[in-house]
Amino acid sequence: MNIKLRNTLGEIISASIAIIWMYFKLNEAATMSITSITQVLVLGIGISILAAILLSIVISIFSSIITGRYEKNVEDERDHMIELYAMRLNGVIFGISIVIILGLLGWFNLHINFGIIAITLSGFLASISSNFLKIYFYK
Amino acid sequence: MAIKKIHIENSVRRLRFNNDEMTQQELADVIGISRQTIVAIEKYKYTPSLELAFKIALTFNKELQEVFFIKK
Repeated sequence: MNIKLRNTLGEIISASIAIIWMYFKLNEAATMSITSITQVLVLGIGISILAAILLSIVISIFSSIITGRYEKNVEDERDHMIELYAMRLNGVIFGISIVIILGLLGWFNLHINFGIIAITLSGFLASISSNFLKIYFYK
Repeated sequence: MAIKKIHIENSVRRLRFNNDEMTQQELADVIGISRQTIVAIEKYKYTPSLELAFKIALTFNKELQEVFFIKK
């Protein structure tokens, strides 16, 4: 497994950790105030960023120990192209999600808390999907 | 009439072996790209930009069409 695949897997794992953490924290979202919900969501985003950085460092250290050499993460035109495809998919999924969420909020008269949580989660899901696309290209 | 999608092949692997059995990592380091990109090029999974294609050809002291070509 090359460094790009490992880093992408690290990003997927960190986003999944944040989603699981937010799921447990937002168990009673319907009764929670909007302030506490946004606090959880912001913390969740922070956790995902921190986890991604930590995982990247840990993965890099472990792979250096196992292989006995330091693998540099060189970025080239192919990486930029894959990144572009991933960003496009990310944007499409996030855009569609926002339209669906707004539709659900309007037609079914759902609570605004649902909308805020769903928009944040759709951002995470879009990020995870784009990372899976990266894995497909890097494999 | 529109030209159908063309499939560009290359002789990078052969040229590497003819060049003192240069490794993929060595070629990648010379050109300044990742080893994964060399792997993708050799497997015809990725067609490089014109600039990168020229860099590869220059590394082997070959003309561009000797390295990248269309198999008919």
